[in-house]
Amino acid sequence: MSELNNYQNPTEGQELTNWQKIDQMEADIARKLPKKKRSGGMKFRKLFGDTVGQTVLTILAIIWVIPLFYLFVQSFRAEPGAWSPTFFPQTWTLDNYKRLFTETPFMQWYGNTLLIAVCSCIITALFVLAVAYVFSRMKFKARKPMMNVMLVLGMFPGFMSMSAVYFLLKILLPDNYQSHLSLIIVYSAGAALSYYIAKGFFDTVPKSLDEAARIDGASRFRTFYKIVLPLSKSIIIYTILTSFISPWCDYIFVSYIMAGVPDTGMYTVSLGMYKWLEREMIQQYFTTFCAAAVIVATPITILFMWLQKYYVEGVTGGAVKG
Amino acid sequence: MASLSLKHIFKVYDGGVKAVNDFCMDIEDKEFIVFVGPSGCGKSTTLRMIAGLEEITAGELRIDDEIVNDFEPKDRNIAMVFQNYALYPHMSVYENMAFSLRTMHMPNDQIHEKVLEAAEILGITEYLERKPKALSGGQRQRVALGRAIVRNPKVFLLDEPLSNLDAKLRAAMRAEISRLHEKLGTTFIYVTHDQVEAMTMGSRIVVMKDGFVQQIDTPTNLYKYPGNMFVAGFIGTPQMNFFDGTVRKTGEEVTFSLDCGTKIEMKYIQADKIPVKYMDGQHKIVFGIRPDDIRVYDSTNYDDGSWAPAKAVVSVVEVLGGETLIYANLNLEDPDAPGSMVIVKTNPDTEVRRGDIIDIEISRRKFHVFDKETEQSIRKRIPDENVINVAISGGVLSFEGQKFPLPAAVRCKDSSSVELSMPVGALTLGEGSGKATVQWIETIGSKTLYFLKVGDITVFSLEEGEARFAIGDTVAFDIDFSQVAISELGVTPLCMVNTLDGSFTKEKDASRKFYHFYMNIGSAKLVPTDRICEKVFACKGNKIFHTPLQYIVSVKDLSTAPASGAQNALTGTVQEILDYGNEKYAVIDVYGQKLTAPYGGNAGDQVDVLVPVEKVTIKDKSIDIIIV
Repeated sequence: MSELNNYQNPTEGQELTNWQKIDQMEADIARKLPKKKRSGGMKFRKLFGDTVGQTVLTILAIIWVIPLFYLFVQSFRAEPGAWSPTFFPQTWTLDNYKRLFTETPFMQWYGNTLLIAVCSCIITALFVLAVAYVFSRMKFKARKPMMNVMLVLGMFPGFMSMSAVYFLLKILLPDNYQSHLSLIIVYSAGAALSYYIAKGFFDTVPKSLDEAARIDGASRFRTFYKIVLPLSKSIIIYTILTSFISPWCDYIFVSYIMAGVPDTGMYTVSLGMYKWLEREMIQQYFTTFCAAAVIVATPITILFMWLQKYYVEGVTGGAVKG
Repeated sequence: MASLSLKHIFKVYDGGVKAVNDFCMDIEDKEFIVFVGPSGCGKSTTLRMIAGLEEITAGELRIDDEIVNDFEPKDRNIAMVFQNYALYPHMSVYENMAFSLRTMHMPNDQIHEKVLEAAEILGITEYLERKPKALSGGQRQRVALGRAIVRNPKVFLLDEPLSNLDAKLRAAMRAEISRLHEKLGTTFIYVTHDQVEAMTMGSRIVVMKDGFVQQIDTPTNLYKYPGNMFVAGFIGTPQMNFFDGTVRKTGEEVTFSLDCGTKIEMKYIQADKIPVKYMDGQHKIVFGIRPDDIRVYDSTNYDDGSWAPAKAVVSVVEVLGGETLIYANLNLEDPDAPGSMVIVKTNPDTEVRRGDIIDIEISRRKFHVFDKETEQSIRKRIPDENVINVAISGGVLSFEGQKFPLPAAVRCKDSSSVELSMPVGALTLGEGSGKATVQWIETIGSKTLYFLKVGDITVFSLEEGEARFAIGDTVAFDIDFSQVAISELGVTPLCMVNTLDGSFTKEKDASRKFYHFYMNIGSAKLVPTDRICEKVFACKGNKIFHTPLQYIVSVKDLSTAPASGAQNALTGTVQEILDYGNEKYAVIDVYGQKLTAPYGGNAGDQVDVLVPVEKVTIKDKSIDIIIV
């Protein structure tokens, strides 16, 4: 206690409270703490490591971007046909985009895909976050067996269950099994299987926060949405992004479930666009396909660029404790 | 403001690991209780069980006489401060403190008032709009305290709240928390592994190790009268010096022979609380002495015969400013010999150097003696028993000129010298054929310990309440023979607690819709109360039906009646009558097990032993925990 007497108010005549003296003492202690300094050798090693790493990543990025760039420039090609002798078009045009919106049902497909993706993304995110929170926080007898079963099931590729899913849908929606609703069910029903990364993230949120909230009188649900969710922005965004992308880009399930549907207006972009790559259509539609691919990729790319900080935090945050 | 009662609290994890074992304690209103012990001793688990964050495996937790085992944390009216602060990082300090009040749906103006009041007490008013990450460690801890204060709880639980702070800051915060306790006038339970924190803050301290409570007492008593070697070593800095050795009584002289070669001699009166059986020069004991209770010899030292001389060779001298610590060795021939290092705390003016041979003096008053094997103190503040050499002839027991007729239950063959032992409470004062002189009186809590001179020997008598006699008085005394043991002659004390093996069963009623539950002992079925059933199922669930149990009931709680097949009675045959003069007991055979109960009849009678089920303790025999 006598230590505290060393702390006086710089302004005469005003006595400091013990708490204020403690604040000053703490600030003093913080000031006196030695600061970390890097030695010359350490600096060089860091610089060398960074340079090598960045160079390798740049080369990989270029290799990865080339096909996408090719697709992008081909979407402006005026020459017809699937094959182009040059990387860049000889004549540049916006006709492919014009044709996409005027002569094809692309906008309808785009709307269908957006509807399916948004709906399944919302349902999936709710499922995944709820399941992950339950596995992270609640202790019940079947917890471990369930986690193990879900982990093993998640190791099998989803398309292995295609025929079973098809017949289940036929039972569940006998009159409507080739519909957008079917696709939403397919994309979101098994979503909880991918709870693992979100659970890993929730595991990193200190359990003492939940306990403090319980003592403060909050219910489980209130603790989840008032305390844990606001601290889990990155994993929520990661979950939403991944659950939006899979229906947005999926071809396999949609081609199986919607097979034989005569109304091409029911198609999603991937199914519709793939039709353009069939032998009898590719010569006519290849450049339109490229333009459509650019349109499909644009919102996802913007989303990723905008939210990439959270996406990375989500993946790595979940990976810390796994 | 609340009192707490923890009765036979157990925490057993899956796999049978016991984190907390039979924790029993009553906490008074406004007490500042500190749980202290090394990591993994179960102190935080106990705190979390009180908070409701951990389930209580077995036992009863009461807050203000209400059993709260099944209550949610929010319904227990407690507040907890966590080691890592557990502040909500996305909320401002104000919102952190207001969260619990918002959960209670309190009006905003009241919330504002309460938060400001708590912030004022803790000096955090100017930080209310900041987020926790913008605060220092000490400030965060104060916010955590503030969050607890606004709830106006009955009990404050603090789980190592200062362990993340700098040592200097910790000392300052310690004093402020003690001040806060006085200001709020609430019951505080504080967990720490730092014995200095425990000693400076607690009104009582609970020392724990490996899930067991080692001792519960005031800081002063823990320091002065440690119950075992662990407490003795854990409390006090530097820690107590321990030396292996033996002790021998020769006439009125007692000599401690330490393995390092040092001999400490004293009068028997200075060591009279040590049971005589240890003073044979054979039993291995541990002699303990605190560094404060050893001094360096100085011709000007006052000595009234309470300091024993010894020599030591200095190995290290630590000058700490206000005091000096001398690390020396009692073994002068081999200073590196293990078990002979002694630490002496002395004044800073003492001038000694490494290698000096110094004369030291060891207190003959403030030493401690422990059983080497059990590590329990054998120089207890309240001695366990009186051990007296007696003669038995013609049914009369005599020692030091005192004569007592033996009751029938203790009749044994004659012997000219035999060792009798009895608890100190078995020697009762005021009435009886014995005469003794009160030599000394010690008040220990609510009890009075009398040192009685009977002829040449000293015996102890323990009474509840204040002293009735004064030093020098001649008092009459008697012996409660039901507590006497004369092992050589096969006399054993009356077992005051019956332990019967049994089980817990269920049976469907006539309508086959409902179950009836029974406490089975042999073929007898005792009907448990609803409260017993609740506790049993809360602890064991359906496993109770496959768990071997022990039913424990005190002899004093039992009563007997002629056999008539009454409800909640065990029918048996009286095998033996134990006649202690004023009181008679029977050893009864019930379904192949022996039971003792008060009974005034004859051997061979058929009797019903009436069992008050609410007073029965139920123990799980398989994992050794008390269920009810």
